Amino acid sequence: MKTERSTQVFNVAGYLILTLISLLCLLPFLLIISGSFTAETEILADGFKLIPNDFTLLAYKAVFSEPGQILKAYQVTILITLCGTLVGLFLTSMTGYVLSRKDFLYRNQLSFFIYFTTLFSGGLIPWYILIVRYLDLKDSYLSLVLPALVGAWNIILMKNFIKSIPESIVESAKIDGAGDFTIYRKLILPLSTPGLATIGLFMALAYWNDWFSANLFITSGDKYPLQFLLYKILASAAVLKTNIAGNLSADMKPPAETLKMAAAVVVTGPIIFLYPFVQRFFVKGLTIGAIKG
Amino acid sequence: MAQTKRKKAGIGMLAALLLATTLAGCSKDNNKPSASGSASPNASASGNTSPAASEANKPDISKKVTLNWYLLGDAHKDTEKVVAEWNKMLEQDLNTTVKLNFTSWTDWQTKYNLLLTSGEKIDMIFASSWADYYKFAKKGAFMDLKDLLPTYAPETWNTVPKQDWDDVSVGESIFAVPSTFPEYTPDGIVYREDWRQQLNLPEITDLNSIEAYLDGVKKAKPKVIPINGKAWNEQFYLFLSNFDFKQIGGDSGLIVAKSYDTPRDIVAYPFTQEFEDWVKRMKTWAQKGFWSSNTLSDQQEAGDGIKTGNGAVYWRNPAGAGGFINDLKKSNPDIQLGYFPFTRFHNYATPNLSINNGMAIPKSAANPERSLMVLDKLRNDPKYFNLMTYGIAGLHYDDLGDGKHIVVPAKGQDPKVVTKYDIASWGWRYEPNMRSEEGGWDGLDKLNEEFKAESKPNIFAPVLMDYQEVKTQVTAVNQVFQQYGQPLMMGLVSDPEKALATYREKLKKAGIDELLAYVQKQTNAYLDEKGIQ
Amino acid sequence: MRRLVAELVHNRVMFLMIAPTLIFFSVFAYLPMVGIYYAFTNFSFEGGLFGSEFIGWQNFRFLVESGSLWSLTKNTVLYNLAFILLGNLLQLVCAIFLAEIPGKLFKKTTQSVMFLPYFISFVLVGAFVFNLFNSENGVINTLLQQLGLPGYDFYMHTSPWKYIIVFFSIWKGLGYGTIIYLAAIMSIGDEYYEAAKIDGANIFQRIRSITIPMLVPTFVLLILLSLGGILKGQFDLFYQIIGNNGMLFESTDIIDTYVYRSLAVNFDIGMGTAAGLYQSFFGLALVLTVNYIIRKTREDYALF
Repeated sequence: MKTERSTQVFNVAGYLILTLISLLCLLPFLLIISGSFTAETEILADGFKLIPNDFTLLAYKAVFSEPGQILKAYQVTILITLCGTLVGLFLTSMTGYVLSRKDFLYRNQLSFFIYFTTLFSGGLIPWYILIVRYLDLKDSYLSLVLPALVGAWNIILMKNFIKSIPESIVESAKIDGAGDFTIYRKLILPLSTPGLATIGLFMALAYWNDWFSANLFITSGDKYPLQFLLYKILASAAVLKTNIAGNLSADMKPPAETLKMAAAVVVTGPIIFLYPFVQRFFVKGLTIGAIKG
Repeated sequence: MAQTKRKKAGIGMLAALLLATTLAGCSKDNNKPSASGSASPNASASGNTSPAASEANKPDISKKVTLNWYLLGDAHKDTEKVVAEWNKMLEQDLNTTVKLNFTSWTDWQTKYNLLLTSGEKIDMIFASSWADYYKFAKKGAFMDLKDLLPTYAPETWNTVPKQDWDDVSVGESIFAVPSTFPEYTPDGIVYREDWRQQLNLPEITDLNSIEAYLDGVKKAKPKVIPINGKAWNEQFYLFLSNFDFKQIGGDSGLIVAKSYDTPRDIVAYPFTQEFEDWVKRMKTWAQKGFWSSNTLSDQQEAGDGIKTGNGAVYWRNPAGAGGFINDLKKSNPDIQLGYFPFTRFHNYATPNLSINNGMAIPKSAANPERSLMVLDKLRNDPKYFNLMTYGIAGLHYDDLGDGKHIVVPAKGQDPKVVTKYDIASWGWRYEPNMRSEEGGWDGLDKLNEEFKAESKPNIFAPVLMDYQEVKTQVTAVNQVFQQYGQPLMMGLVSDPEKALATYREKLKKAGIDELLAYVQKQTNAYLDEKGIQ
Repeated sequence: MRRLVAELVHNRVMFLMIAPTLIFFSVFAYLPMVGIYYAFTNFSFEGGLFGSEFIGWQNFRFLVESGSLWSLTKNTVLYNLAFILLGNLLQLVCAIFLAEIPGKLFKKTTQSVMFLPYFISFVLVGAFVFNLFNSENGVINTLLQQLGLPGYDFYMHTSPWKYIIVFFSIWKGLGYGTIIYLAAIMSIGDEYYEAAKIDGANIFQRIRSITIPMLVPTFVLLILLSLGGILKGQFDLFYQIIGNNGMLFESTDIIDTYVYRSLAVNFDIGMGTAAGLYQSFFGLALVLTVNYIIRKTREDYALF
C-alpha cells in the first residue's frame, strides 16, 4: 500500500522533532557519563566536557570502596521495589476499578477522600511520630515500603485508564453472573495493561529513587537501599571539603564533583533496563475480541 | 545573618554543604566567656579512673540495660567492631550495652529535629551550640542534669571547669555535658605565598595589603580569579573582622556590637558609615575582577580554585586551613600556601564556647542515670576514650606514649585498607586525653600559641536569643538581606549608593528596628547579669 | 443512612476491595493531619502538639506582613501554569508522534532516551545550568566568544531565568508525562481508526477527530490533578538553579523558596505548617471551583 502524502509529512515532522528532543535529553547524560570518568581538577577548571583529557576511575573507586555494601544495597532496593510495586499495583488498580464503576454510589465522595490527601498533610513530624512510635517501624524494611504503598495520583490515573474500557463489557459479564472481584481479575486487569504498565513503572521508579524514608527510618548499615547509600557517600564527600575537615580528616578524600556523576550512573544503570520491558505492554489495539476469544 | 542559610535542613547533600558552613561559621561565634576556663582542665584528674564517689553510695547497676545513643554524621566502616569492643568493657564495668546510632550527614538537621521532637527513646545525643543547643534546651527538649551529675558522673562533674558549666546553663538548669577542649577557630584566609613573593607583593597584615595582594595577582595573571568560587564568606568575614563588628548570640544577623570594647553599643551594620564605605570599596573589587559576577550562584569552594591554579584566596579557620594545606602538599607540592588569621586585625582572639561540642540527654530517655555513667567513663577513662575516639590500638592507631601524639594507622597496617577512625566523637572531648596525629601542619600549634597569648573572654556568644517575640521581623529582615544585602556587599549592583538606599529602606520596612531593640535588650540583660559594662 | 446501609450491603464486594486503600489513607494521611494544629501554636517540647500555647493566626504573620505574599503567590501560580500547560502540550505531541510514526527501534530508543532526564538529580541540573550560563567558561559564553559576539552575563540579569527554569522543568518531566498519554492512546480501540481509514480520513484528520477527543479526558484530568498543587512549587528545581542568589529573586522567587529562606534563620514548626496550610487552602479552593465548573459542563471529565 502506498503511503499517503499527508502521512509522509507527518512522519518526517515526527522524526525531526523526536530526534531533536532526544538529543536534548541524551547530551546531558553523556556529559554525566564522561564527567564521571574525568579527573576532579579538570571538571573544576574547565567545567563539563564530552571527552575527558584526563581519564580516571577514581570516582567509581570511591563509590565501590566497599563493594559488599553496594551489592547489598542493590539487593535491598530491588527487593523493596518489587514488593512495593506488586502490592501497590494490586491495591491501586482494585481501587481505581471500584471508583470507576458508575453503579458504585459513593465513588465521588471516596475519590475526594483520596484526592484530598494530596492537598493537605500534617507535615513531616506527625508522620514520623506515627511511623516510629505508633507503628514501631523504625529500622524495618516495612518503613520503606508501607508509607508509599498507594498514592492518590496513581489511583486517579488508574481510574481514568479503566474508565476507557467500555461499560458494556462489565454489564455483559454481570449478566453472565460474574462477581465484582472476578470481573476485576478476569476482565479489567487484562484489558488495562498499558495503564498497569504505566502506573507500575511510576511506582517502581518512586521506590527505586526514594532515599528520604531510608534517611529517616533506617539505622543499620546493612539495610540501606542504594539511593540512600549514595547520598550518604556524597554528603560525606561534601563535608570533607569544608572547614570541619580539620576535625574529620580521612586519608582518602573522595572527588566530590565527579562522585555525583558516578553516583547518577550507578543508580540509573539498572533501572533504565526496566523501561524496554515496560514498553512491551504498550501494544495498540488490545481489543475485546482478543480477550473473549 | 551570615548564618542565615545555614540553620535548616536542605535537601540531601545540599544540607551537608550547608552544614559545612554552619559548623565552620558558627564555631567562630561561640566563644568561651572566660580565658581562665580554658586553662583549667587540670592534669591531675587525667589518669584517675576510679569514681570519686565511695563504694558505699555507688549507684545500683544490678539491672542490665541497653542504651540508645545518637551521634551526628556517619559511622566509620569499622565502627561495628569498635562498638562491640566497647560493649564488652561496658558490660563488665557497668552492666550496660550501648546501641550507637548515627544521623548521617545527609539532611542531618531535619533528622536531629525529628529525633528530639518525636520523643523517641534516646538516652544520649550529641548537642552543640551550632546544632541549636540553646533553642532546644530552652524549649524543653533536654533533661536537666544538674542533680544527676554529682552522683552519676562525678569525675566529669569535678573536671569540667565551672565556667563551662555556666556556658551550658539555661536558667538554673544544666542541659548538657560540654566537651572540655579549648579551641580557637577564628576566621582567616589561605593565600598563595609563592605568588606573593614572586610578584613582590607586600606581606599580608591588614586590609590594604590584602587588596594589594588580590590586585597584584589579578594584574599579573589575568586568567586567575583571585577568589574563585563562592566568595561570600571571604568577603563577609573580612568585613566583620576588619571593623571589629561582633555578632551576638547564635544567629545575630545584621545586628552587631560596634566593637569588643563597647559591647553595649549595638547597631544594625547596614546603617553605619563603615558599611557605606565598604560597599563602595567592594564595588571596585568586583569591577577589578577579584571574584566573578556569578559568585552568588557558584557552588564551588574557592579552595577548588586554588587547587586548579586558578584561585588565590580561600576562607578557612586555622584547623580547616591546616587540613587544606596538608591536602595540597600531597596533591600539588609545587604550591606554597600562607595563612592569615583575621585576629591580627585587632590583635585578640576568643576561644570557642565549651558547648561548641557536647552531649545531652533528651527528655524521653529511659535510662539517663546509666547513660551518664557511661559518659563519665568515656570521657575520663583513657581506655574508653581512646577506643571510641581513635579506634582500636594497634590497628587504627599507635600511641606514641608522649601524651601528645598518635600514629595513624598503626605500624604494619596498610593505610589503603585501614583508614583513620574518624567518627564525630567531638561531644566527649576531654583535653588531657586528646592526642593529635603526627605529621600535621606545624602552623596550627604556632597559631594556637599566638591566640592563647592574646586571648580575651567571649562576651557575645552566650547571649541567649530565641527571637520568639520578633520572629516575623527576623524572617522578613533575612529575606531583605539575601535579596538586597548580599548582591550589594558583593559589589554586583550597578549603583551602590542607590542600592544602599533601597536596602536600608527595605530593612526599615521589614522591622529591623524592632529586631535591634530585641537584641539590645537581650544583650543588656546578659551583660548586667555578668557585670560587664 | 438507610441508603448507606443498603449500598454497603449491595456493593459489599466492592467495599471490601476498596477497604485496604481507605484504611491506608486514614492511617498514613488523615491521622497525621492533626499536625495541622501546629500552625496555631507556639511549639514547646514540654507541651508537645496539644500542650503548647495556642496563638491563633500569629504564625501566618510572616507571610502577610512581608508584603510580598501577593507577588510570591503570583510568581508561583504563573510558573506552575507554564509548567502544567506547556508540559502537557509537549507531552501530548510527543505521545501522538510516538504512537503514529513507523520505525519500532527508533520509537523505542527515543522513548527511553526521553526518560533519561528524569533520573538526573536537581543537584546535577543545577551544575549543568551553571556550566551553561556562567560568564567565565560557560558553554554559551564560550560559543558567543568564538563567534566573535559579545558575551552575556546571565547572572546579572533576571529576565532570562524564567525561560531557563521553565525549560528545565519541562525537559525533566517530558518522558514521564509522555508515557501517560501514550498509554491512553494505546487504550483507544483500533476499530475507531479502521472505520476512519475506510472513510478515507488522512492521518491529520484521524488525529483530530479520534486521538485528540479521546485524550481530552486524560488531559483535563492531569490538569485538574496539578491544579491542587498550584501554590506548591518545585522547591528543588528553583533552589538548585537559583540558590541563594538574591540578584535573581525578583523573577524567580516562589513561596517554597521564600519559606525555606525564612525558616533557615530560625526554624519554627508553627510557621512552616502555617505556610503549608496557606498553599493547601489555595489549591483546594481552586480545584473545587474548576471541578465544579467542569462537572456542570461535562460530568464525566470531573475529578469527583
